[in-house]
Amino acid sequence: MTGRTRAARRQALLLLAPTLVALTALTVYPGCWVVWLSLQHRVPIFGVARFAGLDNFAFLAVDPRFWSAARTTAAFTALSVALELLLGVAVALALARQERGRRLGLSLLLLAWAMPSVVTAKLYEWLYHPTAGLINVLLGAHAINWLGDPRLALPAVILADVWRSMPFVALLCYARLRTIPAELYEAAQVDGAGRLATLGRVTLPLLGRIVLLALLFRTLDALRAFDIMFVLTGGGPAGTTETLTVYAYRSLFQMLQLGFGSAISVVVFALVMGAAWAYLRLLRPRAVVA
Amino acid sequence: MRRLLLVLCVAVLSGCGGSALERGPVTLVFKYARILGPADPVPELLHEFEAAHPNVRVRGEALPWTSDEQHQFYVINLEGRSPGFDVMMIDVIWVPEFARAGWLLDLTPGLHPGELAPYFPSTVEAATDHGRVWALPWNMNVGLLYYRADLLGKYGLAPPETFDELARQVVRIQAGERDPALDGYLWQAKQYEGLVVNVLEAFWANGTRLLADDGTLFPEPGRAAEALGFLRGLIASGVSPAWTPAADEELSRRAFGDGRAVFLRNWPYAMDLFQARDSPVRGRVGIAPLPGFAGGPRGAGSTGGAHLGVSRRSRHPELAVDLARFLTSERAQKAIALGAALSPTREALYHDPGLVRSRPELPALHALMRAGRSRPVTPYYLLLSSTVQPEFSAVLVGLKAPARAIGDARLRLSHFLDALR
Repeated sequence: MTGRTRAARRQALLLLAPTLVALTALTVYPGCWVVWLSLQHRVPIFGVARFAGLDNFAFLAVDPRFWSAARTTAAFTALSVALELLLGVAVALALARQERGRRLGLSLLLLAWAMPSVVTAKLYEWLYHPTAGLINVLLGAHAINWLGDPRLALPAVILADVWRSMPFVALLCYARLRTIPAELYEAAQVDGAGRLATLGRVTLPLLGRIVLLALLFRTLDALRAFDIMFVLTGGGPAGTTETLTVYAYRSLFQMLQLGFGSAISVVVFALVMGAAWAYLRLLRPRAVVA
Repeated sequence: MRRLLLVLCVAVLSGCGGSALERGPVTLVFKYARILGPADPVPELLHEFEAAHPNVRVRGEALPWTSDEQHQFYVINLEGRSPGFDVMMIDVIWVPEFARAGWLLDLTPGLHPGELAPYFPSTVEAATDHGRVWALPWNMNVGLLYYRADLLGKYGLAPPETFDELARQVVRIQAGERDPALDGYLWQAKQYEGLVVNVLEAFWANGTRLLADDGTLFPEPGRAAEALGFLRGLIASGVSPAWTPAADEELSRRAFGDGRAVFLRNWPYAMDLFQARDSPVRGRVGIAPLPGFAGGPRGAGSTGGAHLGVSRRSRHPELAVDLARFLTSERAQKAIALGAALSPTREALYHDPGLVRSRPELPALHALMRAGRSRPVTPYYLLLSSTVQPEFSAVLVGLKAPARAIGDARLRLSHFLDALR
């Protein structure tokens, strides 16, 4: 190694140092601390602090509330992300085609996305109001028991989340669509491809990677979903909308079980890391693009 | 040059903190949830306290809106070293927990004999843990029954004393009115603290409790299961609407306030809104004690409300106690009751002529407050509550049998409580 490259390396390290220090201080250290906490019985305000080994995780394994929250998290993530991607891509395609009203459409999408999720949840709380809510007033005699029926509460929460997060996918895909060169479409036309063939052979393959990226972001967000259900249902009825993060929050800040709550957080963390790793593998650039 | 500017900026900014506070007069910080509406009477009261204590400044700081967030705020700030506030508004159900955690100053040594006598006994009970007093009662709530006086009058009915009577009245009025949008009895069964309150009231009406004095959970599981089954029956039979499991205070208050129900269980604050100028039910609402069960004890509402505690880490504990004392004084509570829809914790104010003139429901409220009962007074209240919430909710939506829900709740609670011993 020449002196020059060594100096360059040293400088690179120096420049990276603040980032590394910040990341360590803000992510790695608290992360390790949470793992350490999860191995303890710890209720600091009552002076309980002792090593528990894997006790907390053993209890989680047989805790029906934990498994119910895990199932809810899985269902919420799968359904909300699938709907957001489908609708998001459809909206992006529609927007790319539409000249008139495009700016208005984009602004409306941004508005829904820019709203804090607590505000969205409050909005939907009023829309779902059993007697005074807009939806039930429109349905009249066929009013639906949105948040009080254990079979409907989760779909109602998912709907609110789709409304809020679909624009993110739509905007991402729309931006990608704008960068597809017009020549590609001209070539497809020359080759005699119809509308469907163009969509299937040109547009969607080119959207592929950005959709995968949106999938990554949305899945990680959905696995950690909290505000929407916390405000809309508090996790009810009968715990049917309680996700793992809501359960972790209740254990940490209401039951004050720092060890037990941390164990739930560790599980969520593992899930998120697993999902991220799987997607990043999919996203890794390949030599041959299909 | 730019770097120099940056350094200067940082130096100036870091210099601005601390010092000013040290030199000036004593500053007390009061944490409380702002009272909605244009007439928050607290700032005026704080000025008054400052006028009486020339060297003291009092800063009122807002708490987050919801009770959950307030609790989270306190847990985070009080567990750390310096909380940054002296006097704090706390929900009654947190007093034993905060006391046990060592966050509250023990007020017992400074109390004058008889100082707590003017307060409702149940509020003092809620402020007491292990025979010590940890907070002063500030405002109070009690669960009560709102009824549509016009509808009951039309059918020649008196407010119901038992739930059977209430159910019969609902059937009769709904049959007579033939209005599919008119619901019967509204109460709160969303999965949150309010659900626990409603279930406790049913337990008491059925002569049982959630927590016995010796710490036993569900001391009479049979009676508790019976009460839960009864509540489920209200929804299943249509006396209460199917959406009851989604109802919190505001949701049910709104439906009743729109004239869409005969009965409502709620807190006293709703009366002001029902009597507002543009309210569809203005002048048509009466209040009564909650119904009981036939042959059982009289119905009693659960009490709630806020207390004022003093942080144990306050640097001016004597002044802070003075401030808490001033804010809970008869004068201050009267000003608050006049300016906001909050009810006093001092019994005498319920018959104060000046106050009754603007709040005519107060004398009737007095008897209800007196009969009210506290939720279990224990440092583990939130653990208890958040464990039973999903179980009770599962019964009310018909997913679990009452006896099984009680068994499951007991198992979970004993797991957590054992680890605390």
